[in-house]
Amino acid sequence: MGSSSNKPELLKNGKRLDGRDFNELRELKIEAGILKNADGSAYLEWGNNKVLAAVYGPKEAVPKHFADPTKAVIKCRYAMAPFSSLEDHGRTGPNRRAIEISKVAKEAFENVIILNDYPGAQIDIFMEILQSDGGTRAAGITAAAVALANAGIHMRDLIYSVSVGRIGEHMAIDVNKIEDNYSDADMPVAISPRNNELLLLQMDGGLTKKQYEESMVMILEAGKKIHEVQRKALEDYYSINKKNTEQE
Amino acid sequence: MKKIAIPGDEISSIPKRVNGTYIDKGKTYASTITMVDSDTGHLLPLEGAWSPRLNDTVVGVVTMVKNHVYEVDLSHFGRGLIIEGKFDKLSLSVGDIVDARVRDIEDRKTVILENPRKLYGGILVSIKPAKVPRVIGKENTMVKTISSITGSRLAVGYNGTIWISGGDQSAALIAIEVIENEAHTSGLTERVRIMLEKIVKPEFKELQKQREKNERDNKTDWE
Amino acid sequence: MEIINTLKGEHIKELLKNNRRIDTRAFMEMRHVKVKRGVLPQAEGSAQVDLGTTKVLVGIKLMPDDPMPDTPNQGNLITSAELLPLAHPEYETGPPSSESIELARVVDRGIRAGNCIDLESLVLEDKKVWSVYIDLYILNFGGNLFDASTMAAMAALLDTKIPKYENGIVVREERVKSLKIDNIVSSTTFGKIDNYMLLDMNDNEEGMADARVTICTDGTSIRAMQKGLSGSFKPEEIGSLIDVSLNEHEKIKRILEK
Repeated sequence: MGSSSNKPELLKNGKRLDGRDFNELRELKIEAGILKNADGSAYLEWGNNKVLAAVYGPKEAVPKHFADPTKAVIKCRYAMAPFSSLEDHGRTGPNRRAIEISKVAKEAFENVIILNDYPGAQIDIFMEILQSDGGTRAAGITAAAVALANAGIHMRDLIYSVSVGRIGEHMAIDVNKIEDNYSDADMPVAISPRNNELLLLQMDGGLTKKQYEESMVMILEAGKKIHEVQRKALEDYYSINKKNTEQE
Repeated sequence: MKKIAIPGDEISSIPKRVNGTYIDKGKTYASTITMVDSDTGHLLPLEGAWSPRLNDTVVGVVTMVKNHVYEVDLSHFGRGLIIEGKFDKLSLSVGDIVDARVRDIEDRKTVILENPRKLYGGILVSIKPAKVPRVIGKENTMVKTISSITGSRLAVGYNGTIWISGGDQSAALIAIEVIENEAHTSGLTERVRIMLEKIVKPEFKELQKQREKNERDNKTDWE
Repeated sequence: MEIINTLKGEHIKELLKNNRRIDTRAFMEMRHVKVKRGVLPQAEGSAQVDLGTTKVLVGIKLMPDDPMPDTPNQGNLITSAELLPLAHPEYETGPPSSESIELARVVDRGIRAGNCIDLESLVLEDKKVWSVYIDLYILNFGGNLFDASTMAAMAALLDTKIPKYENGIVVREERVKSLKIDNIVSSTTFGKIDNYMLLDMNDNEEGMADARVTICTDGTSIRAMQKGLSGSFKPEEIGSLIDVSLNEHEKIKRILEK
């Protein structure tokens, strides 16, 4: 949340600065399986966000004492490239913010990955933010879910993530950078669409309980669209739409 | 009608134990990307690790020899163990490429192998284990197509490792790459045949004709 | 050790089925809280909070500093957490773990989002502001570090006096005024064990939790939330926990202001 002193107007004629309605997502595109070396991968563009996600594994856990003989261990890295923002050159590698995001993202994925299918193994999830414009953790998690499916990692669900913000009295889905900086509240979530359980929930700013409930309705509605884009990315990769679908 | 199921999609309203699915509250859901044939109910997982079955062929590299036990690295999968019997002395050493059959499944990371066969020379290529059935093809049609046109010998392991030796190895390699990338499409055997006919060098074709003739005269044991 | 924890865990779950907790508390009951302010007189502010067996010490130091480029007219707030090796057999020395980073950031987020400190009152001169350093020192881990740390930080901030600043020099011996606190936030952390919701888990319970959520409020609004662990919550479950948080706020606030 930025300072109130130099806060720009976030609404123009009752609409958001980029012309979106409050319940309108930015354009979202995902392409699955774009990295040859990775076991699974996805490239995502969400508004101006550009994210590369990759999955390696299941593989032997290293170091050995790190392994769990009953289930897989998940390693998760979210990092913003030093050239990813409009501002100055950032620092290379994960900062404290990134370490926290990596942790909560990992916990969200641990919920859906069938860990017991891979005893003693390790699964690496990488989320590299190449260009950022608000909502990068949502973009990273949404892309990584597709990469995990592409890697064939057994999962109970294909999760998605999105952020909701409060602009004055209005709740707004999928806030961009300037909205994120100056909004009155920001709440990123990750959801398992099969049962609408919350796997990641963070929030800061100020929300009444009523506004929280309003946000959740908005999130679940938008989530259907996000999940469809994820599905389409995978369908395209396995070219279900091609006429020559396997007959043999 | 064929349809792709993604993790979390309901496959059946009753519990079914099938590869690539899981059961929750009496229903069956996809846990991996799966091609679903709604007419026959057939499920084909399109990704995922190899889950060993008895008699599956594997290809690997010997990494350790100790007390008459040979450890074989099976790349995507963990390891295979070959236990030397009293009367069938093995002459394998570290670094040897072998193919073998799964005799026993020890745990999710270890299989016991039998009938090891040392493979001389050649190259190894690793593909996603989920694509192996297409490289083999129905009744070995795909692997036969590749070896007959390129003149290469092939050993295809369900663990995702393939051994190629002799003939036009690079053409065979390209064929495997094409199959891996287009594993889910139909008419693949025919497309691979046409492609190989175009790219295989003539001298290998001659070689192969010669081989086929020999084969008709006295059957060899490889495919 | 492992086997002891497993047995204890099973015991905890058995008890929950009979509506009981291992330390006989009600499901939505906090442990006894003890707040001591001003325990370290050399720091600009300090407090120690005991929440059950959890002990958190917070020291506040003020340093003249450059403002952040994006907030030139505000003081800075920097929060760090140390899970001291003496606090638990599994805590180790070394670079900050993701647990300690998460703890510091969640505490920071509540205080910042709650506009607790009047940061604009911390401008010293042109391009010179106070940086407020909140250091969370975990002395003993007995579960629920989030709530104990937020309480301790809040209590320490309420105790903080601003030193004299003259001609670019800090005179720490002379304290001119109290740090201006505009709002008080309280943190409540809930655990989910086998679908039972518990407020303020102790260390044994935390070991068994499937999911955890911290809700920080100022009594009217939710100011920060953080879900943790690999379990999940339904949106309406969070909704009812928000109600509990809003209710608990007055109690916690009274303890802090005492």
